Amino acid sequence: MRFVSVKLLALLCLTALTISCKNDPKHPIPPAGTDSDRGLMLTNIADNIVIPAYANFNAKLTIMITKSDAFIANPNPTTLTEYRTAWKDAYIAWQKVALFDFGPALDYTLSSFMNVYPTNVTTINANIASGTASLETFASYPAQGFPALDYLLNGIAATDADIVTLYTTDADATKRKAYLLQLTNQMRTKFDVVNNAWNGSYRNTFVASTGTGLYSSTSLMVNGIVFYYERYLRSGKFGIPSGAMVNGTLLPGSVEAYYTKDIAKTLAQTTHQAFVDFFNGKGFTTGIEGGSLKTYLNSLNAKDATTQVLLSETINTQFDVVNAKLALLSGEDLSNEVSTNNAAMIAVYTELQKAVRMLKVDMTSATSITITYADNDGD
Amino acid sequence: MKNYFLKTTSVAPLVIFRIGLGAMLFIGILRFWFNGWIEGLYITPKYFFPYYGFEYIVPLGSYTYILFFICGLSALFVAVGFYYRLSIVTLFLSFTYIELIDKTTYLNHYYFVSMICFLMIFMPAHVYFSIDAYRNSTLRANKIPQWCIDSIKLFVCLLYFCAGLAKINSDWLLHAIPLKIWLPARNDMPVIGFLFNYSWIHFLFSWFGCLYDLSIPFLLWNKGTRVVAYIFVILFHVLTSMLFPIGMFPYIMILTALIFFPVEFHQRIIQFIQRFIPGSRNPIESDATFIYSKVQQYFVKGIIFTFFVVQLVVPFRFICYPGELFWTEQGYRFSWRVMLMEKAGYAEFTVKDASGKYLIVNNEEFLTKQQEKMMATQPDMILQYAHILADYYSVHGFKDPMVFADVYVALNGRLGKAMVDTSVDLAKEKESFGHKSWIILYNE
Repeated sequence: MRFVSVKLLALLCLTALTISCKNDPKHPIPPAGTDSDRGLMLTNIADNIVIPAYANFNAKLTIMITKSDAFIANPNPTTLTEYRTAWKDAYIAWQKVALFDFGPALDYTLSSFMNVYPTNVTTINANIASGTASLETFASYPAQGFPALDYLLNGIAATDADIVTLYTTDADATKRKAYLLQLTNQMRTKFDVVNNAWNGSYRNTFVASTGTGLYSSTSLMVNGIVFYYERYLRSGKFGIPSGAMVNGTLLPGSVEAYYTKDIAKTLAQTTHQAFVDFFNGKGFTTGIEGGSLKTYLNSLNAKDATTQVLLSETINTQFDVVNAKLALLSGEDLSNEVSTNNAAMIAVYTELQKAVRMLKVDMTSATSITITYADNDGD
Repeated sequence: MKNYFLKTTSVAPLVIFRIGLGAMLFIGILRFWFNGWIEGLYITPKYFFPYYGFEYIVPLGSYTYILFFICGLSALFVAVGFYYRLSIVTLFLSFTYIELIDKTTYLNHYYFVSMICFLMIFMPAHVYFSIDAYRNSTLRANKIPQWCIDSIKLFVCLLYFCAGLAKINSDWLLHAIPLKIWLPARNDMPVIGFLFNYSWIHFLFSWFGCLYDLSIPFLLWNKGTRVVAYIFVILFHVLTSMLFPIGMFPYIMILTALIFFPVEFHQRIIQFIQRFIPGSRNPIESDATFIYSKVQQYFVKGIIFTFFVVQLVVPFRFICYPGELFWTEQGYRFSWRVMLMEKAGYAEFTVKDASGKYLIVNNEEFLTKQQEKMMATQPDMILQYAHILADYYSVHGFKDPMVFADVYVALNGRLGKAMVDTSVDLAKEKESFGHKSWIILYNE
């Protein structure tokens, strides 16, 4: 009896071994050191995407602040125009870093200080009047960053001459200039904390955390960028203004860059392209693709069981559809688009929504990253 | 058969099991407490998902801490055998109450603990090496009916065997899914991590897991293979605990499997523990045999018989429902389906009313991340949530709100699909044991 049982046990193990050895040789998974190495993906993302993109934004922000200081020193139509141009460049550069909603940017809630819109004109005016308002409170988030500057540079008066007047001869001109300075100081301070962290020790922390558990880099990163895509890109830029999410109520005043009218479409396209490039691991300055979510998904051989199409291809195809819908928006002024051609806005929203599902469900599932704490025995 | 019920055996294995179970649960409660999970899972959420038929089980707010305290204390009392009957009943009730509050936290091993506590209510696990027996000499006995220990063994066998049967499916055996998805995510583990990139390892683990579950009860029961089998138990569960976030489960199973070991083994453990208890007596205190009274005997046997009938039927109730079980999850819980599938979902709810008013719900306003994640793949929770929304919006600006769900679910690495008929007003659908006709069945 004893021998029979031992033999039975051995036999079971052998069977398991034999059967498992004749698995499909067509799709061997590459060994570590190649694409399935999350460390390589994280390194490429940190060194070739995040850090250079932040450096680019830093440069644009620096120029913008210089122009702001010039405008404050001498408000006139020329300095105003230069300030606006620098503001636009910096706003576009921001769209390329806004998606890094993980690590220091998330810890310090950078986006709350940079780009909460629609901006709150009442709060801005109250802050200007008080002269000592804190920009750290929740209530003041919509009164600072790019959207507040949009109002102060483009929307505060009807003509350029009137705008300049508000910063020169108007009774509150000094207070207004002080607020402009407070706003750029705040953007500088908030961004420097994040940028310095990436250029300091966080880069190594990020690259070294190669797991897939709750606080691993891969998990934080995927959760962060997917949240960005869903909340800020899909809902913020299209879902809310188009009314797709509530009652079909059109909110043309809730678009990004509402006052300037000539940049909103570019901002949306820029951030979407930045997201696509991030997914594909395209170097920010080099343009060369490296380790990325795409290569990682491919190394896992993530594909649809029925069609055998790689998941990364399915996702990229959907990105293309979104880009095509974005291109169909008739002009830069998205508030006008909401009022006159909302179907185009809804179309973008609908396609973004399909991409959200793929990112949130298919990609997250395939990478098996942890989203929540607590024990789990496999659903 | 009659002779079988007259057989007696040493109480030692049952005593060790009692001590181990009580200690494990005590540690489990402490772990829950210190991880902040009482707050996170039972106090923070605004809404909960009670089980069908148990809707009267409600969270207790900050009193939940008292519930956990009672649960932990009774676990400790069970371990030392202090007011054993009262303690084990309290343990069973408090633990089960906690588990019934929210489906979100359902885990097979919690269910196992509840069920094993229920069985232990009827076992004479305190007649030996317990404070009760120390204080009351008439209680002391060192022999008990053999069927007491056998029923625990049988339950463990049933669990493993059902877990093994559930693994006999094409995804698990022919495609090594979900391990093929889960293992590469651990490829940065020291020493063995690199192996998880290889397809043959996924197959090896899948097949080994299946054969392990199917055969381990018999290999443990059989004297000749027991030691080898136990080594496998330890290896298997330690490995799974390193790979997956499954908490206390591996340790509970490692401990439970000891019940299969011979009397002398348990006797030695008791002697070992006694060395640390000054003044404790010689273990051979009594030659008495614990005997249930005639009435007790009918009662207890009846309950245990019913228990096993239920345990045999419940895991197979899924046959009564149409469609793919992994997709609909109708009859999925309470069936020892452990680590079987990779499922993720995204559920978007639209609330409307007759006036044309509508809004898309932000789930974060109602649910925790964990609740949202669980809800998005499980139809019964989707329905419960739809009713939570209907109730909320009926007093927040909507007249007789209708609730529609757009649910996208990916199962075992297949591309996501719609799971719910978006034209059905879920506010009008009722929960029942019947099939949910609004689930779009999975066609491959």
